[in-house]
Amino acid sequence: MARLNDSAQWIILMGFLVSFAIFFLAVVINQSTVVGQTTAESVLEFPKNDIRNIRAVALETSGIADEGDRLIVVEDITSIAQRRTHAIVSLSFVPADTRMQVTIHYNNGVTEFDEVWISP
Amino acid sequence: MVGEGAQLYTIEGVAAAMIMLLTAYFVVNATAVYTGGDTHINDMQLEILGKDVLDMMDTRPNGTVEKSPLRLIIEEDRADDFRTAFVAMANNRTVADADRINFAAQYFYNNRVTGTIESNPLSSSRDLTGGEHAVRATKWVIVTKELPAGSGFVKDRAVLVEVLVWRD
Repeated sequence: MARLNDSAQWIILMGFLVSFAIFFLAVVINQSTVVGQTTAESVLEFPKNDIRNIRAVALETSGIADEGDRLIVVEDITSIAQRRTHAIVSLSFVPADTRMQVTIHYNNGVTEFDEVWISP
Repeated sequence: MVGEGAQLYTIEGVAAAMIMLLTAYFVVNATAVYTGGDTHINDMQLEILGKDVLDMMDTRPNGTVEKSPLRLIIEEDRADDFRTAFVAMANNRTVADADRINFAAQYFYNNRVTGTIESNPLSSSRDLTGGEHAVRATKWVIVTKELPAGSGFVKDRAVLVEVLVWRD
């Protein structure tokens, strides 16, 4: 039996190498779409505006002089935040001399935020 | 003597098997990405725009101790003023033609008589049909208003203004 002429086998092997390279590039492109989706979704789900809103209204509330009036506002914030933004919010105000120490706590089950702010 | 001419065919066979296995792996492992990575960017932009408009409306004139326009609108139930201001600010663009942003706004308050959270409509640029792809922008406002109306309870109250914003 005559021996097979196999000198072209190396060309075929090189072809395989190139096809592997293309496969890996396809994997990279495939994964990049999934990564992009995750990023945009997590940015949307992070309650940046909620926290900034709570912070702003807490600082504004610290300007209410009467403690009873302040408690009414705090109660409004706590109950509306729980119902409309699904977040546990607790605010406490401790007057010291002419300043006011405001403690802000925010937790929506995923993101937690705590701050102690002292009025100038 | 051992003939080694078949080694090359073996390697070729192994490589072909790997390619077939990889192909099968990709096909089985392929996930359907229903939403592309940049789909939500429009939503993010719209949400920030709505938030900015509410922030501007809740800014006191020239840093004075006067009440902000948004606070006055809620206290005096001036729905038309809210609509005019919101539509004008949200749709303002650097190019000549206006944007097509619409909104529906309401505010939520704590009813201390019944202990529930209730809402009052503020205004809207058109009626909601349910088909809108809207995002929500919110803003806390402290108002001095009788809430609920007719309760005789007039104090500083915190209300949450919620605006649904969408682009037609």
